Parts: sequence; C-alpha cells; structure tokens
Amino acid sequence: MEYPEIDRYASLKSPIHQFDPRAKIISFSILIFFVVFVNELDIAVINLFFSFILIFISKLPIKFVLNRIKWVLLFVLPFLIIMPFTAGGSELMTIDGIKMTYEGLVLGMLIVLRATSAVMLILTMLATMRFDTTIKALYMLNVPGLLIQMLMFTYRYIFVFLDEFLRMWRAMGSKGFKLKANMYALSMLGNVVGMLIVKSYERADRVYQSMISKGYTGNPKTMVKFNMVAKDYAIAFLLISIAILPYISKVVL
Amino acid sequence: MTQEAISIRSLNYSYPDGTKALEDVTIKVESGEKVVIIGPNGAGKTTLFLHLNGTIRSLEDNVNVFGKNIGRMATEERIKEVGIVFQDPDDQLFMPTIFDDVAFGPINMGLDEGEVERRVKKALATVGLLGYEDRVPHHMSYGQKKKAALASVLSMEPRILVLDEPTANLDPRSRVDFIRVINDLNKKEGITIVIAMHDVNALPELSDRVYVLNRRVVAEGSPRKIFSDISLLKENNLEAPEVFNLFKVLRCFGYNCDDLPLSMYEAVDVLTKTIEDGNGHIHLHIHEHTHEEVKKIMYSYNHH
Repeated sequence: MEYPEIDRYASLKSPIHQFDPRAKIISFSILIFFVVFVNELDIAVINLFFSFILIFISKLPIKFVLNRIKWVLLFVLPFLIIMPFTAGGSELMTIDGIKMTYEGLVLGMLIVLRATSAVMLILTMLATMRFDTTIKALYMLNVPGLLIQMLMFTYRYIFVFLDEFLRMWRAMGSKGFKLKANMYALSMLGNVVGMLIVKSYERADRVYQSMISKGYTGNPKTMVKFNMVAKDYAIAFLLISIAILPYISKVVL
Repeated sequence: MTQEAISIRSLNYSYPDGTKALEDVTIKVESGEKVVIIGPNGAGKTTLFLHLNGTIRSLEDNVNVFGKNIGRMATEERIKEVGIVFQDPDDQLFMPTIFDDVAFGPINMGLDEGEVERRVKKALATVGLLGYEDRVPHHMSYGQKKKAALASVLSMEPRILVLDEPTANLDPRSRVDFIRVINDLNKKEGITIVIAMHDVNALPELSDRVYVLNRRVVAEGSPRKIFSDISLLKENNLEAPEVFNLFKVLRCFGYNCDDLPLSMYEAVDVLTKTIEDGNGHIHLHIHEHTHEEVKKIMYSYNHH
C-alpha cells in the first residue's frame, strides 16, 4: 500500500541531501528558532523567501511540499482574519461597526509567515534524509534515550498500525459497512479505534518480550557512521550566519 | 558425547487470571538435537518458549540450559545460549532498519564494531538477505521479514535456536528455503533446534523427536511413533503427514513395507527399494476387504 512517508524523496541528490545529518539538524534547528522569533514583517518575508530557496536547492517536488504545508496553512490562515479584529491598535477601517486594526493585521501576517517558513524548514530538514538517519543523528547528538526510543517505535509501528487499521476497515467494508454521519457509524468507528488500542497493547507486550530475548536492558545502542567534512562545517556556518544576520545588522546599524 | 541442552523439570505456569497454561511439563533436549513440539492451539507452546530464555522466570529451579539455571543468568550470557524467533516478524523487527535489528543483539552483548558487522553480514548471508541492511521493514514482504527476524536472532550466535511457527503463512518457496536454512544450521553449526508448529507435512524433515503438548506433555517419541497413534492425534486436533496417510492406503492395496514413509524423500527411498526388490515391479491389488479398509483409514483421518 501507499504509505504517507515523510522521507519518500530522501534518495534524491542535492547539497542539502548530502549535508551531514547532525550538522543539518543543528543548523536547521537554529534557523527555525530565529525564524519563529522574528518580529519584523520585512525580515519575515525574507525568511519565507529563504525557505523557498532552500526547498528549491533540495529539489523536493513542489507537489509533495504543498501537500504537507496545506495542513499547516489550514490552521494558521484563520489568524489572518481573526487577529486584525481582535488585537488592539490604530484603526485601519471599520466593517459593520467592528474595528480592524493595523497592528492586528501585521501580527496576523507575522504568524502566518513565521509558521509557514518554520514548517518549510522542518520539511526540508526531515524530507532530505531517511527517517532512520534522523533518529541516528539525534542519537549521536545525545538526545535523551527515552525520546529516541519513542520516536523510533513511532516510526517503526505507525505503518504496522496503519495496515492493521486498513485491514479492519476493509473487513467492515466487505460486510457492508458504510461510513455515514449517524450514531451507528460513530459507535462502529469507536469500536475500531478501541480494537486498535487493544491490539497495540498486546503487540507492545510481544515486542517487549522479543526485545528482552535480544538482550535489551533499557538503553538501545546502535552503530552509526557519519563523517563530518569541511564542506559540512561550511554549510552549517553559512546557514547559521543567515539566521543571525538580521539580528546582527539591527544591532550594528 | 551428548550433553543436555535443555532440561525442564515439572514446570507449572498459570496465567495471572488463574488459568493453568502449563502443568507438570518435563522436557529434555540433547545438544544438537532437533525437537518439534506440536499440540492444539492454546496448548501453551508460546508460554513454554518464553520460559526458555528467561522472559518468564520460573520461581523454582527447574528450567536449565546447558546445566545452568536460565532465570539466574546475566542478560548477555542468556542471549548467547538461547535465541527465540517469534511467530510475527513485526514483533521481532522493532528497529528502524534491518541492519539495526540484526545488530541489536550483538551490540547488547558488548561486542566491538568489527565483530558486530561481521556477525550481521554472516547472519544475513545465512538467510539470503545480504544487501538488505538499509531496508526498512515496512518495505519488505512477509517472507523477507520472517527471514530477517531469523537473522536478527542468528547474529547472537546462540547454541539453541527456538522457533515459533517458522513455516506458517509462508509461500511454498519461502517455506522450503526456511526449512533448508534451519536444517543447515543444525547440521553445519550443530545448533540445537526446538520448534513449535502445526505444519505436520514439514515436521518429519525438521525433527528427530516430537513432543505433543497440551498443557501437559501428552506424548513423546519419534515422528513415526507419534503419527502412528491415531487416537493420540485425534485427541489433540492433530493429523499425520499426507505422505504417511497415502502409504497407509497403499498398504490396503497390498503394498508391503515395514516403515511407512513420513516425507517425500523417505517415500522415494521406500518406493525405490520395493521396486528393486520386486524385480522392477510393484504389485498392488484389490481384494474383497480393500474398500472397507480404505474407508476405515479415510474415516479415521476425517475428524467428524
């Protein structure tokens, strides 16, 4: 079946794909941090533009990118309408007695721009390496083992559960079940989710037994071979500089 | 010199709700032996296996592996002795890539990187999955996952290999591959094999000795002895291999042989011998009781 994989295009070749995973995670995290905390509209626009350039360099298909971003936009776009009417400040215009403020509009645009650029950066980071590489890079960066394991098992079993859900769903379909907006369909859906929880609980038990039988003692170790070369340091330096540049220029000027 | 690989003495186990899963189970397996445990669904085979590597620890001192109590062994020592291959490979492959899964055991044993890599390579080569190191399990077929699960246990190079339903749900080709791999491990590396399965047609190739388990050990003996006992088979929802049944029917038609063959290989041997002894012919005939006898045999194998 077709899985909604974030790392479907991890095998492409681009400077961002070849960037060392650890350096990628660090520099993109710093980049995202600065993008999210920007307060000037012009810099936010530049950041969005920069995120676009990075996606362009990474050669990720635009359709794939848009497919991921649309869900985020669905959540943030309403702010563009809500903020102007709720934030206080100088009046821009009045619609049916409701005041629309200039500050609110700027704030709304800032929220949308920040969120979109941040999500695009995260996507560029995650989609340009295989997810198991991401996990290993985090492991190498000494991220707490508990977090790594949670991420690892989520990644491993999300597809197994998806398959399990689809099997049940098809079984229901083959017995004539149709999803309708009524109580019966809702309760059936509830049953399916309940079954999924029971099944995952039982599977967790079996997985744990098999982990024990392979000598698991609480801390999974793995072997990683990453190799940082001069180029990786250069790209990391470049990306981080771009992130801090607007702040430095503001202080200097 | 034969050494006792597994020794279980009157083992009892009840589920937390009080249901008895194992009652007074005594099993002995010699080093280098192939033993198959058969029995109906829910007979306690999986529970028994969980005792074999200390996942479930018996409170009494009665589960020993190579003379040592498995419950008291250190983790690293334990996984060197017994490797368990579970039924569902999705339970056994829990790491992001195949390499990570096969390397999981060796890394836990504290081996250095070179040795871990050597073992991963060897284990994958044994099951025929070299080059799959970077694959993720959800991109592999069930048969491949099953082989990978076996490799992830082989990499620990255990002296005893325990397999739960190794041939279930495999396509015929993968099933044959799997049986060959298991037999090779037993013959070439001297690994002791313990298998639980329902696949009676594969059983003769995979076993020197059979235990019938139905919460307690109901019977024990050679495959031929077990499959000749029709009432035993009936009581435990079991069946004899097809080849064995066919030759039983042939016997009614006047075919003469002492030991009924259990597998295709044995059948070929037996047939060749009879034809050679009979100067190039086999004599079969129908006499007045033949149909009755055949009917009786057919009836005894239909469980209704």
